[in-house]
Amino acid sequence: MAKLEELIANEESKVLCLGNEAIARGAIEAGVQVFAAYPGTPSSEISMAMNAAAPKLGFYAEWSTNEKVAMETAFAASISGVRAMTACKHVGLNVAADAFYSFLYMGCKGGFVTVVGDDPHCFSSQNEQDSRWLGVSAQFPVIEPSSPQEAKEYVKRAFDVSEKFEMPMLLRSTTRVSHARADIQFNKFESNFKEGEYEKTNRFACLPALARANHPKLLERMEKIKEWLPTSGFSTIEGPDNHTEFGIITSGNSYAYVKDALKTIKKELPILKLGMVAPLDEQTILEFAKDKENIIFIEEVDPYLEDRISALFIQNGVIPKIHGKSSGITKRYHELNERLVAEALVKVIGGSIVQVNEIERSVEETNDFVPFRPPLFCAGCQHRAAFWELSKIVRKNKGIFASDIGCYSLDPWVTDTILCMGGGIGMANGFSKVIKDKPIFAYIGDSTFFHTGMPALANAVYNKANINILVLDNRMTAMTGFQPNPTEEIDIADVAKSLGVEYVVVFDPYDFENGKKVFEDALKHEGPTVIIMRKICANEDWRRKRRKGEKIEVFHIDPEVCIACGTCIVQYQCPAIRWSLETNSKGKNYSVIDPDVCTGCSVCSQICPVGAISKVDE
Amino acid sequence: MVETYQMVICGVGGQGILTISDIITIAAQMKGLNVLGSEVHGMAQKGGSVITNLKIGKNLNSPTIPIGTSKMLVGFEQNETLRYIKYLQPRGTVITSETVLFPITWKKDKEAADKARESIKGNLGKFDANVHFIDAEGLANQAGLALTQNIVLLGALSQVEGFPIADNDLREALKLRVPPKHIEVNLKAFDLGIKAVKKNN
Repeated sequence: MAKLEELIANEESKVLCLGNEAIARGAIEAGVQVFAAYPGTPSSEISMAMNAAAPKLGFYAEWSTNEKVAMETAFAASISGVRAMTACKHVGLNVAADAFYSFLYMGCKGGFVTVVGDDPHCFSSQNEQDSRWLGVSAQFPVIEPSSPQEAKEYVKRAFDVSEKFEMPMLLRSTTRVSHARADIQFNKFESNFKEGEYEKTNRFACLPALARANHPKLLERMEKIKEWLPTSGFSTIEGPDNHTEFGIITSGNSYAYVKDALKTIKKELPILKLGMVAPLDEQTILEFAKDKENIIFIEEVDPYLEDRISALFIQNGVIPKIHGKSSGITKRYHELNERLVAEALVKVIGGSIVQVNEIERSVEETNDFVPFRPPLFCAGCQHRAAFWELSKIVRKNKGIFASDIGCYSLDPWVTDTILCMGGGIGMANGFSKVIKDKPIFAYIGDSTFFHTGMPALANAVYNKANINILVLDNRMTAMTGFQPNPTEEIDIADVAKSLGVEYVVVFDPYDFENGKKVFEDALKHEGPTVIIMRKICANEDWRRKRRKGEKIEVFHIDPEVCIACGTCIVQYQCPAIRWSLETNSKGKNYSVIDPDVCTGCSVCSQICPVGAISKVDE
Repeated sequence: MVETYQMVICGVGGQGILTISDIITIAAQMKGLNVLGSEVHGMAQKGGSVITNLKIGKNLNSPTIPIGTSKMLVGFEQNETLRYIKYLQPRGTVITSETVLFPITWKKDKEAADKARESIKGNLGKFDANVHFIDAEGLANQAGLALTQNIVLLGALSQVEGFPIADNDLREALKLRVPPKHIEVNLKAFDLGIKAVKKNN
């Protein structure tokens, strides 16, 4: 990661940073004054950089409880005349949709930019949603940078465009732009922060009569952007200009693959790169296509450009042959790369790519050899501890277990369903209405609880759902990089009680004896129960202690007592424990604890059936 | 025109992969070259399989490296080296640590472990590649700090034919990236890595 001093230094320099940090720098150079966001991979580093920079540069940044609140916060700032921004992952944009579908009708005043991080290939997500469609459906202007450097420049431009047309702008990034690392040219900036001013008007109240009047105005603004696009510089044409057989239309990161693929297959073709993908630069597209026999669309995931532009061709009587997802040259799922694009181009224009067979053979061979190394809960993780006793109770009672989004999705034991942020409690409510003979459980983290869990809990109380809600409160939003959240100041037990939950218990997830009693007790209770397991994230706690040079009281295993039953390794799966390659004095295997990884949580010593594990120095 | 140099660095989360890709990037910048890397965050927890792509050159476009096109593969762990060797171009070079981290549920005695190591080594030998096995752990301990295994590998990879950055430039970049009190021991580890490859040749 780039250093904070570099990110906020007001000078011309080249800085090695992530695409997301380049986006944050773009916002800083644009003089953004209000930033609000909820973390989500692959967007989180934008918000981390903005929250770190804000107090140093004197603008406002916050970690909001969810993407909708963040969007509303930034929108209010914008209509008070200051530049505002928000960032989220693709599914986070869905949470915010209720807000922006309506405020787009009303437009903005101070520049307003939302950055959305799409995740083709689901590296860290539950789906491959293509956010460009929102550009059509909500009339949200969408710009799509092809590299980290361009992402920085586009953010800056987006604020200008937003103010020019009084339209909020959506900047779509993808994992490969957000998490690329490159040397980025930083520029000097001026921060002219000012007090917000809200001018009294009825423009910003979306009552039906006003909405009816505003809808055509929205379409007019989009038309104006469309008219301006050909001279905006967002559309660029390169390659041989006398080529009439083939032309490529692309956008975003796919453009980078096209450039590399053409180099690989040693061809030069005309390329139209669209920097803005909604609304479309119709004039430039039609001009580019009118003398070409074949148009090749290269884009990731959905055939967004292909479908929209094919329709445009028909409407204008331009009929080139279309190559893309519809003809199967690229797939409608997972991410592209240089090779897939080269193969796609070869299918249309001919030629060949060398060594494909050789490579395919070696891929098959390696797949046979290598052991699977799945991501695991960290050493000392309290989710693992929580799930240990819980999973026994759930299994014994044949319970149904609705989990949620967070580190706990890594549970290897009892999870039945995972749907969306806060979805566990809602689904548990539904299960409880149709499945009467089995206990129903919902599991949720503290950050997700504040994100969308609270309305679902109120619903469960109101509708008398007989469910057990387990909240693992590890004091932070751990999975996306340990961001802070309201659990620091608002006690989830108080929230549950004030919402009318009668059975609320808080305990330490490492305390198994107590935990067992609580779970069994909760099952006897009618109506929703809330069981809060509270303990600071073991991983972050361990790192903080190491940084401060604090002693960590690690555990060790007595080789002569250990019976190599595998409870701690095979069943509990703590990454700090492994089998010894040596044998003890009886010639038997035993397990060992790596003192550099052990966090001293003590759980293995509680579950060891022969008491072989104890604190070092005891 | 500067030819783009593509390399893949892989291992298990927490082994210090990012540090050496940072050092390579800083050194490349000092030489006036561009670097484009790609990483995956989020679900990649500690202990998971990790891969980083690096492209070094001029006018770089896409950040990822397709299968079969990397000139060099640097592996911090032999299973991971095997997992990602598919990214190597035919007759490319592999620098791999001899370290083997067995999946945690793997229950074997010393003899079986040695056998498994031999089999991984044998499988790596089946590929059309120039493979260098480096005792990164031993050499790092020899340098005086077990955490410098990544720097041993950095020294080793600097000797691969065609790698566009000279070892002295990497030394300068290293001094900027590692904690000042550890510069000396890191430079020692770096030199031991260089020697290890030279001895192999």
